[in-house]
Amino acid sequence: MKTNLIKTISKIALVLIPTLTLSMTASAHDPKLHAKKPEKADCSKMDHSKMDMKDPVAMAMMKKCMKQAEASSDKMDGKMDHSKMMDDKMDDKDMKKDMKKDEHDNH
Amino acid sequence: MKILKLLLLLVVLGIAAATTVIYSGIVNVAADEPHSDLVYWLLEETRETSIKKAAEDIEVPDLVDPELLLSGGVDYNFMCASCHLKPGQKESDMSVGLYPAPPNLTISAESHEGHEHGDDAQKARKNFWVIKHGIKASGMPAWGKTHDDKRIWAMVAFINRLPTLTPEQYQIITAIE
Repeated sequence: MKTNLIKTISKIALVLIPTLTLSMTASAHDPKLHAKKPEKADCSKMDHSKMDMKDPVAMAMMKKCMKQAEASSDKMDGKMDHSKMMDDKMDDKDMKKDMKKDEHDNH
Repeated sequence: MKILKLLLLLVVLGIAAATTVIYSGIVNVAADEPHSDLVYWLLEETRETSIKKAAEDIEVPDLVDPELLLSGGVDYNFMCASCHLKPGQKESDMSVGLYPAPPNLTISAESHEGHEHGDDAQKARKNFWVIKHGIKASGMPAWGKTHDDKRIWAMVAFINRLPTLTPEQYQIITAIE
């Protein structure tokens, strides 16, 4: 009698535990739909030929894309430190001189 | 004296009926169970009349400045689009789940079923008031508590043009710089 009861309980548990675990992790749809990431303007899709430049929508789009282009070129400029690049050049020259000196000393 | 007694009896009966309705739990407040047509009409008429009256003296500024579209577009995308949708989108979790359903602002006011929207100035006044003050028990927040009038007018300007925008135009205008 007892063994039958234990068998029945373990069978129920075998079905219930995976079902409950799976249902807890299940979601109605992709959670990515709820994520809000800041997106950059996709200015490549702007069709200038179809745009009326007096329309506020077209003007707003142009402004947004121009600002974005300026910001990205500023970033590029910011990343390149010319003063350091000159120093590097100097260092290169000095290094080459030193190397030649070493080679000469070896003779 | 008799009339006074009758009135008193009616008042007591009214209070008893209201108390019964409140505390019996017979009113279903579930958002997935719509109101009857009569209740919906009563609530909608009350809401529309209230907004019209409250917004009638609001002065509408010039809303054609492209800067307003840029500022309003970013705010709309973050604060409103999940309920009121984006161009090319037909529904969202919020637009399906909320009751009353939030209006789809990507289609023109004339395409909405139901109440009148009035002319452009009336529409702008109404939108400004609703964004600023919100609507009780509808899911519409009062953005005026955290946003100044200038930002709210920018959202109104953007909403005016929203039904004319393509998904590509929307993406560019609402993108973060």
